[in-house]
Amino acid sequence: MTGMLNCIKDPDGPKIIVCCGSGGVGKTTISAAIGLYGALSGKKTIVLTIDPAKRLADSLGLNKFDVNAQRVPVENLIFCKDAPTPGAGLYAMMLDAKHTFDELVARYAPPEFQKNIFRNRYYQHLSNNMAGSHEYMAMEKLYEIFNQDEYDLIVLDTPPSRRALDFLEAPQRMLNILGHNFFMRLFKPYLKAGRWGVRFLNILASPVLKGVGKVLGQQALDDFSGFMQLWDDIMFEGFSRRATAVKELLAGSHTLFLAVATPQRLPIDEAIFLSEKLLLNGMPFGGFIINRVNCLNSNMEIQGFDSDKVFTGTRIDPGLKEKLISAHNNILKMAENDARSVNRLIKKSGAENKNVVLQIPFADSEIVSLDDLYRLSRFFTR
Amino acid sequence: MSAENIEDQNDNRFSTVGKTGLFVSGEPVDAWLDRLLSRRLIFVMGKGGVGKTTISIALAGAAERMNKKVLLVELGDTDSIGRLYQNQALSASPRKLTPSIWGARVDPKVELEAYVRKHVTPGFIAGKIIRSRLFEYLFEATPGLKEVMSLGRLWRWEKEENNLAGTIYDLIIVDAPATGHAMSLLRLPDILINMIRVGPLANQIRGLQRLLKNRHKTSLVLVSLPAELPVNEAVEFNSMAEDILEMPVAVTFINCVYPVVFSRTDLQQIESIETSDRDFSFSAESRLITSARILNRRRSDQQKHIEEIHAKANGHVQEIPFCFTNDLTINQIQELSFFI
Repeated sequence: MTGMLNCIKDPDGPKIIVCCGSGGVGKTTISAAIGLYGALSGKKTIVLTIDPAKRLADSLGLNKFDVNAQRVPVENLIFCKDAPTPGAGLYAMMLDAKHTFDELVARYAPPEFQKNIFRNRYYQHLSNNMAGSHEYMAMEKLYEIFNQDEYDLIVLDTPPSRRALDFLEAPQRMLNILGHNFFMRLFKPYLKAGRWGVRFLNILASPVLKGVGKVLGQQALDDFSGFMQLWDDIMFEGFSRRATAVKELLAGSHTLFLAVATPQRLPIDEAIFLSEKLLLNGMPFGGFIINRVNCLNSNMEIQGFDSDKVFTGTRIDPGLKEKLISAHNNILKMAENDARSVNRLIKKSGAENKNVVLQIPFADSEIVSLDDLYRLSRFFTR
Repeated sequence: MSAENIEDQNDNRFSTVGKTGLFVSGEPVDAWLDRLLSRRLIFVMGKGGVGKTTISIALAGAAERMNKKVLLVELGDTDSIGRLYQNQALSASPRKLTPSIWGARVDPKVELEAYVRKHVTPGFIAGKIIRSRLFEYLFEATPGLKEVMSLGRLWRWEKEENNLAGTIYDLIIVDAPATGHAMSLLRLPDILINMIRVGPLANQIRGLQRLLKNRHKTSLVLVSLPAELPVNEAVEFNSMAEDILEMPVAVTFINCVYPVVFSRTDLQQIESIETSDRDFSFSAESRLITSARILNRRRSDQQKHIEEIHAKANGHVQEIPFCFTNDLTINQIQELSFFI
């Protein structure tokens, strides 16, 4: 059986790898390691990430992450002497929601309208805080980079959502909210007579709008309709075309989704949920990466020992012996717990006969250098 | 690992354990807890997966032991609290979980509907608004609407003290959404009050603002883990809470701290046993020693993160020991509450 991630080395393998999973499972680090693996397999690879840790930037040999692509000095690897083939290499880029939205506006909106859009409170909310804006923006950037066709492999580290699924549904939700048809249907009953071009909300004549205005405040409603008019006139075409194209790209054969988790209940549940949802929507699911698994190495496998006999012939303090036994039992307990979690995942996701679960052992030390990342990436060959 | 390394790590650990240890603190052990639990409203904040729900339940347990009636509120989109207690999701109206702990889950949409019905007359217009697609739309797209509705619910629960006889909560503990969302949640009254100056919503927001900024009534609690990203966020949140929210963090919990098991003498002894004549390779002894090393190293990896929180957090810092399990049961959490 070939390894779950062997397809990365395949020249005809996926061009986009999307790492999903709940926050705090090491998604960014795994993404970086996958990127390195891709680069060392001879591909020009870029890792797109949100909110990266300073330490990860350090370990990649970058001062800090930037919204522009930066080259990672893979030639500094000590352990791996095979330098990437010419043309291959590893790049990193940080995603920033506000920045990407502003770029979009700058691209599609005529200069005289840009200021009004940037100033609008709804736009500010939308671009920064609205549920789904980070996810949408990540998709947008992904699409842009894919179409530039500059890289052989794009690794996308998804935004930390409370629910991993948000990431998939957010673009559609955004499209619903900003979609032309939806907007027209919604506001048509409340528009003053006249053609759509002079539209404004006839608040006084509509009891429903009056009621909404009473609850939210008139100002809020005005701001909102003002934004939607600007948006509809100027931005919508481009925006909506993009959202649809992004969706197609994600469901297509170039893409592979990976669910990253740790053995704790919540992340495992999220990963299972995500895989089910992906399969349900016909999206290409590549498997689970379970990070930070407490494994027992070969000379620690679970076998009984006689607590009366250990350390006989040594002058060990009885208290210390007890501590050693209890510490060892804790390690065993963690390993058993994790094995149970992973088995639950395998069972629940029907993965018994498929090679779709990759376990990464709890690292001996924190990842502080490119070589640590390289060591991590070696697990992908399994 | 060489002998020097182990000793270095232990020196490092020893220099701080005195002031950061679980039971050792500058003030009487429980003063911070008494103070915290004497508030009316506690927000438990933190990144996803750091253990907010665990800490919320443990705090509720500690309050219960002080004979307080507690309302545990879930504000995010998970249903962990109900599942842990009774394997049943919480609903919008409080349900009794233990003799003196109630649980509820705030659904901003339900609140908004109630709000519209209360303030829009005649009733059929209110109904029409609620059923309209416009309402759905505005509910999703209006900045802060969900948040202000959720906060309004908390505010009314807090106020009930003065208005209602019967079940009155001494303390409301809120298991908040992940920090980013929670931050915008708590900032909202300040922002909205500048946008909406009159009307029923404005009055509600003013009341809310007064409640949130009253340090005798409301406290923020932050949960973090001894690892890089959670600690960075905890430090950042501490300063934002103080400067922007004007609601300083009262207690920062560091969850999942590995216990310090081996003293320096212990490690020296292990070292000398290993270097003795007897060959321990592939023996039970070597397995035990390997385990000891693993735990010792993990604790020392955590140490610098723990120290950073101690150095930079505003209020009390409380370490919570790691339980060596993936899925805490409600009983295990209750045991943890004794550590608190």
